[in-house]
Amino acid sequence: MDIVLQQLVNGLTLGSVYGLIAIGYTMVYGIIGMINFAHGDVYMVSAYITAIAIALLTFFGIESFPIILIGTLFLTVAVTGAYGWVIERIAYRPLRNSSRLAVLISAIGMSLILQNYVQLSQGANQQGVPTLLTGAMRIEVGDGFVQITYMKLLILFISLLGMGVLTYVIQKTKLGRMCRATQQDRKMASILGIDTDKVISTVFVIGAMMAALAGVLVTLDYGAFDFYVGFIIGIKAFTAAVLGGIGSLPGAMLGGLILGLSEALFAGLISSDYKDVFSFSLLVLILVFRPSGLLGKPEVEKV
Amino acid sequence: MSQAIGIDLKKSSVDALIAGLLALILFGPIVGVLLDGYGFKTEFDRVAWIVAIVAFGRFMLSCFLQTEKGIALVHRFARSDDGAIVLPPGHKSKMVWVIPLVIVIGLLVPFIASKYVLTVVILGLIYVLLGLGLNIVVGLAGLLDLGFVGFYAIGAYGLALGYENLGLGFWSMLPIAAIMAAVAGAILGFPVLRMHGDYLAIVTLGFGEIIRLVLINWSSFTHGPNGVSAPLPTFFGLEFKRRSSDGQTFHEFFNLPYDSGYKYMFIYLILFLVVLAVLFIKHRLVKMPIGRAWEALREDEIACRSLGLNHVLVKLSAFTIGASTGGLAGVFFATYQGFVNPSSFTFFESALILAIVVLGGMGSTLGVVIAAFCLTVLPEILREFAEYRVLMFGILMVVMMVWKPRGIVRVTRTGFASRKGASK
Amino acid sequence: MLERFLLLNNNENKTSRGLYMSNAVVKKTLLAMAIAGAATFAQADVVIGVAGPHTGAYAAFGEQLWRGAEKAAMDINAAGGINGEMIKLVKADDACEPKQAVSVANRLVDSDDAVAVVGHFCSSSSLPASRIYEEAGVLMVTPASTAPLLTDNGLPNVFRVCGRDDQQGDVAASYIVGELGATRVAVIHDKDTYGKGLADAMKSTLNAYGVQEVMYEGLTRGEKDFNAVITKIRSVDAEVVYFGGLHSEAGPLVRQLREQGSKAIFMSGDGIVSDEFVSVAGAPEYVDGVLMTFGAPPTSYPSGAKVIQEFRANGYEPEGYTLYSYTAMQVVAAALSNNNLDPMKAAEWLKTNSVSTVMGVKDFDEKGDLKVSDYVMYEWDAQGKYQQIN
Repeated sequence: MDIVLQQLVNGLTLGSVYGLIAIGYTMVYGIIGMINFAHGDVYMVSAYITAIAIALLTFFGIESFPIILIGTLFLTVAVTGAYGWVIERIAYRPLRNSSRLAVLISAIGMSLILQNYVQLSQGANQQGVPTLLTGAMRIEVGDGFVQITYMKLLILFISLLGMGVLTYVIQKTKLGRMCRATQQDRKMASILGIDTDKVISTVFVIGAMMAALAGVLVTLDYGAFDFYVGFIIGIKAFTAAVLGGIGSLPGAMLGGLILGLSEALFAGLISSDYKDVFSFSLLVLILVFRPSGLLGKPEVEKV
Repeated sequence: MSQAIGIDLKKSSVDALIAGLLALILFGPIVGVLLDGYGFKTEFDRVAWIVAIVAFGRFMLSCFLQTEKGIALVHRFARSDDGAIVLPPGHKSKMVWVIPLVIVIGLLVPFIASKYVLTVVILGLIYVLLGLGLNIVVGLAGLLDLGFVGFYAIGAYGLALGYENLGLGFWSMLPIAAIMAAVAGAILGFPVLRMHGDYLAIVTLGFGEIIRLVLINWSSFTHGPNGVSAPLPTFFGLEFKRRSSDGQTFHEFFNLPYDSGYKYMFIYLILFLVVLAVLFIKHRLVKMPIGRAWEALREDEIACRSLGLNHVLVKLSAFTIGASTGGLAGVFFATYQGFVNPSSFTFFESALILAIVVLGGMGSTLGVVIAAFCLTVLPEILREFAEYRVLMFGILMVVMMVWKPRGIVRVTRTGFASRKGASK
Repeated sequence: MLERFLLLNNNENKTSRGLYMSNAVVKKTLLAMAIAGAATFAQADVVIGVAGPHTGAYAAFGEQLWRGAEKAAMDINAAGGINGEMIKLVKADDACEPKQAVSVANRLVDSDDAVAVVGHFCSSSSLPASRIYEEAGVLMVTPASTAPLLTDNGLPNVFRVCGRDDQQGDVAASYIVGELGATRVAVIHDKDTYGKGLADAMKSTLNAYGVQEVMYEGLTRGEKDFNAVITKIRSVDAEVVYFGGLHSEAGPLVRQLREQGSKAIFMSGDGIVSDEFVSVAGAPEYVDGVLMTFGAPPTSYPSGAKVIQEFRANGYEPEGYTLYSYTAMQVVAAALSNNNLDPMKAAEWLKTNSVSTVMGVKDFDEKGDLKVSDYVMYEWDAQGKYQQIN
């Protein structure tokens, strides 16, 4: 019993991280219909910036955890957002009127560039950040126990907060309305006076910022990262986005949670060897019965 | 207009300043602060160089774009030109002599090239095969497949495991592997027929990953990460080894000194002939009803179905034919490397094959051939740059796409005119 | 074996094959003489490849390899080179990918005319590359590939100056059974040639002692969240967790193990020998008590003291495989210089002669493995350092 509960906790925290990164994929896809393959590597860049920010802040003698956390979050989110903007400007905007495949290849190229640029400037070795928040909450269950570190609780809390703020922005603010208008019909939106190029840039920045949020949290939690870390988590987050219905915000969160839970439960109860096989099979199965993902709107075929 | 020619230095300076500032934000932390354990070292001179180069580059670019040539360039980008070039009916190319020339040169390559060059060319031809296979699926039928490497793996492991378990050699596995891959293509094809565009992409990606994961985890059959060794092709039963396990070897039979180059020459020649055959078949397929149907389905599925095309059959045929070509490439890869293991079949490989198709120009056969060679030979040439190799590769990918989004070679086709009296 | 040895020798003298094999070398020597005659300051070169992951995820190991080989070549050249010829190193990058390993191996033997290779690093790269070197008659000495299959293939030109995974697994298993007296052992690996090979070797010795593992599972390299596996380790109530893999996964694994409140002893192989293990684990206290098998400390040999001092004087700590790579280069140089630069003769020579190196005197058996296995057990402490325990 305690084991199953512990696996649920593991799955939830992993899933919330997938969900945060999946948001970047799903927003970009929703607005310009492209798979941003460099998104996982944006997450990787944010992991490095997190470690650098922590090193700088501790160097200047700051030791209290909340200040380091807020400072790191601020720095990382800001710089990573700038990365999102520049990547869109250089690699995707010139291809706005080209086929979607051309953009896809450009994105794969961008992903290679980011990985190797970071490797060249920071070295290929494994990096780590010191453990800042220790301790765990322990709940006795029967004769066993479920243990959740405070860091994991923080991840759950901040990712829920981040998703909440984002949902508010998209649903209630003027910026959100512009995003949704551009998503529905880019040409019409621009006729109505919306600067669609600017909106698309903003979406890229927001996506990168959400990835940065995940980057800070995960880096603080796991402590370890290298220049290659964006690849696997990027693929998983992309899977989560499609699972939930690409283009849908709640879908990304739901997809992330389902993927995280299914991985943890399968690995924990059956075998971790085949957990990815299971996740991908689950994806295929869901898409066979719901071809647009769980919360995606079915594509209306126009004649 | 005369005013426009003048260069507004103030605007350029502002542009340069903004670019420099951005470069400082982007490169400052990653390049300037080098992580060292939990501490760091600073390398501000590197940042200063980069920022200076970016700012200067932006300044020059900004100035250039204000000149007449620059404005023309911007206009060229703004135009979106797509579609195929249609030649007049009955057009006869003047370049007919090129094909025999290429064949002759191709046949001569193994006798003049060094062994290293030969191995690179073999790898290039393998990617040509892969590109041709994926080109049917993505370029012609318009089905975005990110898991093409799965079929490649089936072919490669088919040879290695077929040899190990059933004692089948290269020649018997060549057709069997192609059929196996085709069957896998059909199996994958069925569930994904309902899906569109990017859902298809992720499912095929998942399929490729599942194959790789099974290869890693099913150790009792595939030997997991250790891989399996694959046999060499035989020349009418003669082996290309230094010492034969049974019977004679190639060099003993012909009384030649042993040279490991012979086997690469032989692989090259078979591969070259297979590539020629696939090129020919593909060339004919595109002009046949099935090829027309693929392209029609890519352009408008609903129209096709209302005109009575069986979309299931059309899509499945694209999947199976593409997959069998991938399987063939896998067999050659295994025999060329003499050893296969799962790390050769990662998602990156699928991305590379897709890059070949897109860079070459979707649907263009010539483009695929050129792009395949570019993408395999380029990393070898870039080897001189050592650690900057992959970075350059990525930059070239982005630049190529921005510069020529439709690929290197535009699709051309000969137009049709109804025969007199036929349509009346 | 001796018979075959003689036969081979005869063949070489009679048939054209022998001629071909040393062709490159003959050409080189002739060329060398010509150049030496033409200009006294120009030195001919002996080309030796240093093949390993100079880029990619394991580039840190590639650097250790390169540093060691470079220093050894410099020292040998300063002492007059190999029979008066200078060593010229060629950096060959395989990024630990078999496909690239084949490509660079062909390039080394074909374009660069290398007579010997120090490398490769990853076993999965060494395996396919070793065949190419054998065909071309090039001597291969790997400082780090520990997969048993590499020398069990029976190629005459392959040597290693490190141990074998099965020896390492033996040491670990007998320690678990003998010293720790544990019966509940969880075996985890990273599904790669090295990690799985090591875990399997440990497992089979463990089973031979009559201890059945309570859990045997693989995790995915490159992932960082192993909580699901760890919860499972907790559920089977393991006393010892044995991990076959590298520090990049071992760090997060041991940290998450402690974070979930498990007190199981964590044990691994030489894949975690790096200071990065501590920084990746998050804090030194997480690695406290971690056990590890590794060759007798490479820095402990008195014969290496001078070289280590010189490394440190240049601000480089010769950790991990640096000295192994230095040793491999010394082995190559000694074998070549005693056999007139003929790599295949050098390979035969190595099987009957010993070489004194910075890591002591090295003897090879007929397969190309070291005769003496020197694996010992180390323990990490709360300061993030490791000491041999006895």
